[in-house]
Amino acid sequence: MTNEELLALTGAKVVDARGTACPGPLLEAKKAIGTINTGDIMEVMSADEGTKRDIPKWAEKKGHEYLGTVEESGFFRIYLKKG
Amino acid sequence: MENKKMCLALFSGSLDKLTAAGVILSGAVADDMDVDVYILLQAARAFKKEIASNKDEIMLAENPHLRNEFFESLRRLNVKEWQDFFKDAKSISNVKFHVCGLAGKIWGGEKLDDFIDIADDIVGIGEYITAAQEADVHLFI
Repeated sequence: MTNEELLALTGAKVVDARGTACPGPLLEAKKAIGTINTGDIMEVMSADEGTKRDIPKWAEKKGHEYLGTVEESGFFRIYLKKG
Repeated sequence: MENKKMCLALFSGSLDKLTAAGVILSGAVADDMDVDVYILLQAARAFKKEIASNKDEIMLAENPHLRNEFFESLRRLNVKEWQDFFKDAKSISNVKFHVCGLAGKIWGGEKLDDFIDIADDIVGIGEYITAAQEADVHLFI
């Protein structure tokens, strides 16, 4: 998906983990994914560089779909669809 | 599908290694692993209530002069303290903390109540060996 398409996703569960270092964002994602339904979208905001690789790999392993990452100034948004 | 199992032998009572164990535990529970943590010698001391509640009792085994800098970095990066990592992991997945009976006795801990609340039981070495044999991942810290 393009950045425009990702940013246009609506109704996503937003997890703001910008205040935490690794493993905070991954744990926040793990907790939050349990609160949404299959097919729902989740956006994880993080400023932790390692998370950019960690969360997509974790999502793939757990059967969720990684939709893409949008780089912002000083942080990024990672989009997943719960599988 | 059955969850994968991790067996973590936590020997060290050094602040940095306790923190590292907490980070690894977090990754394991995010991956839905069942984890058995065996609290061995120095870690059993750190698990004693009166030690765990006193920051001055938990040191850095390597580069002890950097202890304050280490604490300051954890604060700046908003990294949890080791006990909070452990509690959080336990609240998310099947994580059990088993205190080695001998290690407990060495530091004057005879009963489960002598240790912080996350400790599940006091066990012998046979249980650790069995857990290590059966685990998908076995770590010694």
